[in-house]
Amino acid sequence: MRITLKLFATLGDLLPEGAKANTLEVEVPEGATPHQVIDQFQVPRAMAHLVLLNGVYVDVADRDKPIIHPGDAIAIWPPVAGG
Amino acid sequence: MTTAAAKALLNDEQLLRYSRQIFLPEIDVEGQQRLLRSKVMVLGLGGLGSPISMYLASSGVGQLVVVDPDQVELSNLQRQIVHSSDALGMEKVASAKRTLNGLNPDVDIVTHNRRLSEAELIEAARGADVVVDGTDNFDARFTINRACHAAGKPLVSGAVVRMEGQVSVYRFDQPGGPCYNCLYPESNTAPAGQGERSSWQNCSETGVLASVAGIIGCIQATEVVKLLLGIGEVLSGRLLLLDARTMEWNTVGLRKDPQCSVCGTE
Repeated sequence: MRITLKLFATLGDLLPEGAKANTLEVEVPEGATPHQVIDQFQVPRAMAHLVLLNGVYVDVADRDKPIIHPGDAIAIWPPVAGG
Repeated sequence: MTTAAAKALLNDEQLLRYSRQIFLPEIDVEGQQRLLRSKVMVLGLGGLGSPISMYLASSGVGQLVVVDPDQVELSNLQRQIVHSSDALGMEKVASAKRTLNGLNPDVDIVTHNRRLSEAELIEAARGADVVVDGTDNFDARFTINRACHAAGKPLVSGAVVRMEGQVSVYRFDQPGGPCYNCLYPESNTAPAGQGERSSWQNCSETGVLASVAGIIGCIQATEVVKLLLGIGEVLSGRLLLLDARTMEWNTVGLRKDPQCSVCGTE
Protein backbone atom coordinates (compact mmCIF):
# COMPACT_ATOMS: atom_id res chain seq x y z
CA MET A 1 0.00 0.00 0.00
CA ARG A 2 1.08 3.56 -0.60
CA ILE A 3 1.42 6.03 2.24
CA THR A 4 3.01 9.44 2.70
CA LEU A 5 6.15 9.49 4.82
CA LYS A 6 7.32 12.75 6.34
CA LEU A 7 10.64 12.89 8.17
CA PHE A 8 11.42 16.04 10.12
CA ALA A 9 14.66 17.88 10.80
CA THR A 10 17.79 15.74 10.47
CA LEU A 11 15.71 12.63 9.69
CA GLY A 12 14.90 14.20 6.30
CA ASP A 13 18.38 13.11 5.17
CA LEU A 14 17.20 9.49 5.40
CA LEU A 15 14.44 9.85 2.79
CA PRO A 16 15.08 8.02 -0.51
CA GLU A 17 15.81 9.99 -3.68
CA GLY A 18 12.84 11.78 -5.15
CA ALA A 19 11.67 13.26 -1.89
CA LYS A 20 10.10 16.67 -2.27
CA ALA A 21 11.20 18.73 0.72
CA ASN A 22 10.86 16.30 3.63
CA THR A 23 7.96 14.27 2.23
CA LEU A 24 7.73 11.20 -0.01
CA GLU A 25 5.01 8.83 -1.12
CA VAL A 26 6.27 5.34 -0.34
CA GLU A 27 5.20 1.71 -0.69
CA VAL A 28 4.91 -0.30 2.52
CA PRO A 29 3.46 -3.79 3.15
CA GLU A 30 -0.27 -4.12 3.85
CA GLY A 31 -0.91 -4.03 7.58
CA ALA A 32 2.43 -2.40 8.31
CA THR A 33 3.06 -1.08 11.81
CA PRO A 34 4.74 2.26 12.57
CA HIS A 35 7.86 0.42 13.77
CA GLN A 36 8.03 -1.54 10.49
CA VAL A 37 7.90 1.72 8.52
CA ILE A 38 10.53 3.25 10.82
CA ASP A 39 12.78 0.23 10.27
CA GLN A 40 12.10 0.03 6.51
CA PHE A 41 13.47 3.54 6.02
CA GLN A 42 16.35 2.95 8.44
CA VAL A 43 15.27 5.55 10.93
CA PRO A 44 17.05 4.65 14.20
CA ARG A 45 14.24 3.91 16.67
CA ALA A 46 15.92 6.12 19.28
CA MET A 47 15.58 9.01 16.84
CA ALA A 48 11.87 8.39 16.17
CA HIS A 49 10.86 10.49 19.14
CA LEU A 50 7.42 11.60 18.02
CA VAL A 51 5.36 9.57 15.54
CA LEU A 52 2.19 11.14 14.14
CA LEU A 53 -0.36 9.20 12.08
CA ASN A 54 -2.49 11.65 10.09
CA GLY A 55 -1.48 14.34 12.57
CA VAL A 56 -2.37 12.31 15.68
CA TYR A 57 0.36 11.21 18.09
CA VAL A 58 1.05 7.45 18.18
CA ASP A 59 2.05 6.23 21.63
CA VAL A 60 5.17 4.07 21.86
CA ALA A 61 2.98 1.16 23.00
CA ASP A 62 0.97 1.35 19.74
CA ARG A 63 3.90 1.40 17.35
CA ASP A 64 3.86 -2.38 16.88
CA LYS A 65 0.18 -2.43 15.95
CA PRO A 66 -1.08 -2.58 12.31
CA ILE A 67 -2.73 0.81 12.47
CA ILE A 68 -1.60 2.18 9.10
CA HIS A 69 -4.01 2.23 6.16
CA PRO A 70 -3.58 3.08 2.46
CA GLY A 71 -3.31 6.82 1.91
CA ASP A 72 -2.29 7.55 5.51
CA ALA A 73 0.44 10.03 6.35
CA ILE A 74 3.12 9.10 8.87
CA ALA A 75 5.28 11.90 10.27
CA ILE A 76 8.33 11.26 12.41
CA TRP A 77 10.13 13.85 14.57
CA PRO A 78 13.58 13.35 16.08
CA PRO A 79 14.43 14.80 19.51
CA VAL A 80 14.90 18.56 19.07
CA ALA A 81 16.92 20.73 21.47
CA GLY A 82 18.31 23.57 19.36
CA GLY A 83 18.05 27.11 20.63
CA MET B 1 -8.18 49.33 43.03
CA THR B 2 -10.06 51.88 40.91
CA THR B 3 -8.85 52.54 37.38
CA ALA B 4 -7.97 56.10 38.35
CA ALA B 5 -5.90 54.90 41.29
CA ALA B 6 -4.23 52.27 39.11
CA LYS B 7 -3.38 54.84 36.46
CA ALA B 8 -1.76 57.02 39.09
CA LEU B 9 0.83 54.29 39.60
CA LEU B 10 2.00 54.51 35.99
CA ASN B 11 3.61 57.76 34.88
CA ASP B 12 2.57 59.53 31.67
CA GLU B 13 5.49 58.15 29.72
CA GLN B 14 4.62 54.59 30.79
CA LEU B 15 0.94 55.07 29.96
CA LEU B 16 2.00 56.11 26.46
CA ARG B 17 4.76 53.52 26.03
CA TYR B 18 2.47 50.62 26.96
CA SER B 19 -0.75 52.15 25.58
CA ARG B 20 -1.23 49.50 22.86
CA GLN B 21 -1.12 46.78 25.53
CA ILE B 22 -3.19 48.74 28.00
CA PHE B 23 -5.89 48.98 25.31
CA LEU B 24 -6.26 45.20 25.48
CA PRO B 25 -9.06 44.41 27.91
CA GLU B 26 -7.10 41.35 29.10
CA ILE B 27 -4.22 43.59 30.19
CA ASP B 28 -5.44 47.11 31.00
CA VAL B 29 -3.50 49.31 33.45
CA GLU B 30 -3.54 46.74 36.20
CA GLY B 31 -2.13 44.03 33.95
CA GLN B 32 0.60 46.39 32.81
CA GLN B 33 1.47 47.11 36.41
CA ARG B 34 1.61 43.42 37.12
CA LEU B 35 4.03 42.97 34.20
CA LEU B 36 6.19 45.75 35.60
CA ARG B 37 6.30 43.94 38.95
CA SER B 38 7.10 40.54 37.35
CA LYS B 39 10.39 38.68 37.26
CA VAL B 40 11.27 36.26 34.48
CA MET B 41 14.42 34.15 34.09
CA VAL B 42 15.56 33.62 30.49
CA LEU B 43 18.04 30.79 29.99
CA GLY B 44 20.09 31.04 26.81
CA LEU B 45 20.50 34.22 24.76
CA GLY B 46 20.65 32.62 21.33
CA GLY B 47 18.12 32.26 18.55
CA LEU B 48 15.24 31.72 20.97
CA GLY B 49 16.47 33.84 23.88
CA SER B 50 16.87 36.86 21.59
CA PRO B 51 13.21 37.37 20.65
CA ILE B 52 12.08 36.09 24.06
CA SER B 53 14.11 38.68 25.97
CA MET B 54 13.44 41.49 23.50
CA TYR B 55 9.66 41.09 23.55
CA LEU B 56 9.54 40.64 27.32
CA ALA B 57 11.65 43.78 27.75
CA SER B 58 9.66 45.88 25.31
CA SER B 59 6.41 44.63 26.89
CA GLY B 60 7.56 45.97 30.25
CA VAL B 61 8.35 42.87 32.31
CA GLY B 62 9.97 44.48 35.35
CA GLN B 63 12.99 42.25 35.83
CA LEU B 64 14.70 39.86 33.43
CA VAL B 65 17.34 37.52 34.79
CA VAL B 66 19.37 36.47 31.74
CA VAL B 67 21.77 33.54 31.83
CA ASP B 68 24.31 32.54 29.17
CA PRO B 69 27.98 31.56 29.55
CA ASP B 70 29.01 32.42 25.97
CA GLN B 71 30.46 35.33 24.06
CA VAL B 72 28.98 36.76 20.87
CA GLU B 73 30.42 35.13 17.73
CA LEU B 74 30.01 36.06 14.08
CA SER B 75 28.04 32.86 13.35
CA ASN B 76 25.49 33.89 16.01
CA LEU B 77 24.40 37.11 14.32
CA GLN B 78 22.25 35.48 11.58
CA ARG B 79 19.58 34.61 14.14
CA GLN B 80 20.54 35.94 17.57
CA ILE B 81 19.09 39.36 16.96
CA VAL B 82 19.57 40.70 20.47
CA HIS B 83 23.29 40.93 19.60
CA SER B 84 24.58 43.39 17.02
CA SER B 85 27.74 43.38 14.90
CA ASP B 86 29.58 45.69 17.26
CA ALA B 87 29.04 43.22 20.13
CA LEU B 88 31.39 40.57 18.69
CA GLY B 89 33.49 39.13 21.50
CA MET B 90 31.30 40.61 24.24
CA GLU B 91 29.64 38.46 26.87
CA LYS B 92 26.21 37.62 25.51
CA VAL B 93 24.59 38.76 28.73
CA ALA B 94 26.32 42.17 28.53
CA SER B 95 25.44 42.54 24.86
CA ALA B 96 21.82 41.60 25.58
CA LYS B 97 21.60 43.95 28.54
CA ARG B 98 22.72 46.82 26.34
CA THR B 99 20.11 46.02 23.66
CA LEU B 100 17.30 45.34 26.14
CA ASN B 101 17.86 48.53 28.11
CA GLY B 102 18.02 50.39 24.80
CA LEU B 103 14.59 48.99 24.00
CA ASN B 104 13.21 49.77 27.44
CA PRO B 105 15.11 51.46 30.28
CA ASP B 106 12.26 50.54 32.69
CA VAL B 107 13.46 46.94 32.79
CA ASP B 108 15.98 45.75 35.37
CA ILE B 109 18.35 43.28 33.69
CA VAL B 110 20.22 40.89 36.00
CA THR B 111 23.02 39.00 34.24
CA HIS B 112 24.79 35.69 34.86
CA ASN B 113 27.68 35.08 32.49
CA ARG B 114 28.04 31.40 33.39
CA ARG B 115 26.17 28.14 33.67
CA LEU B 116 24.29 28.05 36.94
CA SER B 117 24.50 24.89 39.04
CA GLU B 118 21.27 23.03 39.71
CA ALA B 119 21.16 24.47 43.25
CA GLU B 120 21.68 27.99 41.88
CA LEU B 121 19.00 27.42 39.25
CA ILE B 122 16.52 26.30 41.91
CA GLU B 123 17.28 29.41 43.97
CA ALA B 124 16.97 31.68 40.92
CA ALA B 125 13.74 29.98 39.80
CA ARG B 126 12.25 30.51 43.27
CA GLY B 127 12.86 34.23 42.83
CA ALA B 128 11.20 34.33 39.39
CA ASP B 129 7.55 34.18 38.39
CA VAL B 130 8.23 32.24 35.18
CA VAL B 131 11.30 30.52 33.69
CA VAL B 132 11.93 30.35 29.93
CA ASP B 133 14.23 27.80 28.33
CA GLY B 134 16.01 28.78 25.12
CA THR B 135 19.15 26.69 25.66
CA ASP B 136 20.72 24.55 22.95
CA ASN B 137 21.36 21.17 24.56
CA PHE B 138 19.54 18.40 26.39
CA ASP B 139 21.74 18.41 29.50
CA ALA B 140 20.86 22.05 30.23
CA ARG B 141 17.19 21.35 29.52
CA PHE B 142 17.06 18.38 31.90
CA THR B 143 18.68 20.46 34.66
CA ILE B 144 16.35 23.42 34.11
CA ASN B 145 13.33 21.10 34.20
CA ARG B 146 14.44 19.58 37.51
CA ALA B 147 15.11 23.04 38.97
CA CYS B 148 11.70 24.40 37.97
CA HIS B 149 10.02 21.29 39.36
CA ALA B 150 11.88 21.76 42.66
CA ALA B 151 11.05 25.48 42.76
CA GLY B 152 7.41 24.97 41.72
CA LYS B 153 7.69 27.58 38.96
CA PRO B 154 6.21 27.37 35.43
CA LEU B 155 8.63 26.56 32.61
CA VAL B 156 8.13 27.70 29.01
CA SER B 157 10.24 25.46 26.81
CA GLY B 158 10.99 25.86 23.10
CA ALA B 159 13.36 24.21 20.64
CA VAL B 160 14.25 24.66 16.97
CA VAL B 161 16.24 22.86 14.31
CA ARG B 162 16.43 23.54 10.57
CA MET B 163 12.87 24.68 9.67
CA GLU B 164 11.05 22.99 12.55
CA GLY B 165 10.16 24.02 16.06
CA GLN B 166 8.47 22.80 19.22
CA VAL B 167 6.95 24.67 22.19
CA SER B 168 5.32 23.57 25.43
CA VAL B 169 4.61 24.88 28.92
CA TYR B 170 5.17 22.86 32.10
CA ARG B 171 3.01 24.09 34.99
CA PHE B 172 5.05 23.17 38.04
CA ASP B 173 2.97 25.76 39.91
CA GLN B 174 -0.01 23.40 39.49
CA PRO B 175 -0.28 19.70 40.37
CA GLY B 176 -0.72 16.83 37.96
CA GLY B 177 0.75 18.01 34.65
CA PRO B 178 3.54 16.42 32.63
CA CYS B 179 7.11 17.73 32.69
CA TYR B 180 9.90 18.01 30.11
CA ASN B 181 11.32 14.71 31.35
CA CYS B 182 7.98 12.99 30.55
CA LEU B 183 8.45 14.13 26.92
CA TYR B 184 12.23 13.67 26.74
CA PRO B 185 13.21 11.14 29.40
CA GLU B 186 16.84 11.15 30.45
CA SER B 187 18.58 7.99 29.22
CA ASN B 188 18.08 5.86 32.31
CA THR B 189 14.33 6.28 32.30
CA ALA B 190 13.74 6.28 28.52
CA PRO B 191 11.47 3.61 27.03
CA ALA B 192 13.34 0.34 26.53
CA GLY B 193 16.02 0.60 23.89
CA GLN B 194 15.30 4.23 23.10
CA GLY B 195 17.48 6.06 25.54
CA GLU B 196 20.40 6.98 23.31
CA ARG B 197 20.96 10.49 24.48
CA SER B 198 24.34 10.71 22.79
CA SER B 199 22.65 10.47 19.40
CA TRP B 200 20.10 13.10 20.47
CA GLN B 201 22.80 15.66 21.15
CA ASN B 202 23.66 16.07 17.50
CA CYS B 203 20.23 17.51 16.76
CA SER B 204 21.24 20.84 18.23
CA GLU B 205 24.28 21.11 16.01
CA THR B 206 22.53 21.32 12.65
CA GLY B 207 21.43 24.52 10.97
CA VAL B 208 18.35 26.60 11.62
CA LEU B 209 16.43 29.21 9.65
CA ALA B 210 16.70 32.46 11.62
CA SER B 211 13.06 33.44 11.36
CA VAL B 212 11.91 30.00 12.56
CA ALA B 213 13.82 30.58 15.79
CA GLY B 214 12.07 33.95 15.84
CA ILE B 215 8.61 32.38 15.48
CA ILE B 216 9.19 29.87 18.28
CA GLY B 217 10.80 32.49 20.55
CA CYS B 218 7.84 34.83 19.99
CA ILE B 219 5.42 32.06 20.96
CA GLN B 220 7.44 31.47 24.13
CA ALA B 221 7.33 35.19 24.99
CA THR B 222 3.56 35.16 24.41
CA GLU B 223 3.11 32.20 26.74
CA VAL B 224 5.19 33.96 29.42
CA VAL B 225 3.00 37.08 29.30
CA LYS B 226 -0.15 34.91 29.41
CA LEU B 227 1.19 33.07 32.47
CA LEU B 228 2.14 36.32 34.22
CA LEU B 229 -1.31 37.81 33.64
CA GLY B 230 -3.45 34.66 33.76
CA ILE B 231 -4.72 35.17 30.22
CA GLY B 232 -6.34 32.38 28.19
CA GLU B 233 -4.91 28.87 28.05
CA VAL B 234 -1.22 28.16 27.78
CA LEU B 235 0.36 25.13 26.08
CA SER B 236 0.24 23.04 29.25
CA GLY B 237 -0.06 19.31 28.53
CA ARG B 238 0.30 20.12 24.83
CA LEU B 239 3.29 20.22 22.51
CA LEU B 240 2.97 22.62 19.59
CA LEU B 241 4.90 21.50 16.49
CA LEU B 242 5.78 23.77 13.57
CA ASP B 243 6.90 22.57 10.15
CA ALA B 244 7.80 25.86 8.49
CA ARG B 245 8.57 24.14 5.16
CA THR B 246 4.86 23.58 4.62
CA MET B 247 3.78 26.02 7.36
CA GLU B 248 1.85 23.24 9.02
CA TRP B 249 1.14 23.29 12.74
CA ASN B 250 0.30 20.27 14.85
CA THR B 251 -0.54 19.97 18.51
CA VAL B 252 0.01 16.70 20.32
CA GLY B 253 -1.23 15.99 23.82
CA LEU B 254 1.42 15.30 26.47
CA ARG B 255 0.72 12.87 29.25
CA LYS B 256 2.31 12.76 32.65
CA ASP B 257 4.50 9.67 32.95
CA PRO B 258 3.67 8.15 36.36
CA GLN B 259 7.18 6.65 36.38
CA CYS B 260 8.93 9.89 35.38
CA SER B 261 12.15 10.28 37.39
CA VAL B 262 11.40 13.97 37.96
CA CYS B 263 7.64 14.33 38.47
CA GLY B 264 6.43 10.71 38.65
CA THR B 265 4.28 9.49 41.48
CA GLU B 266 5.00 5.73 41.31
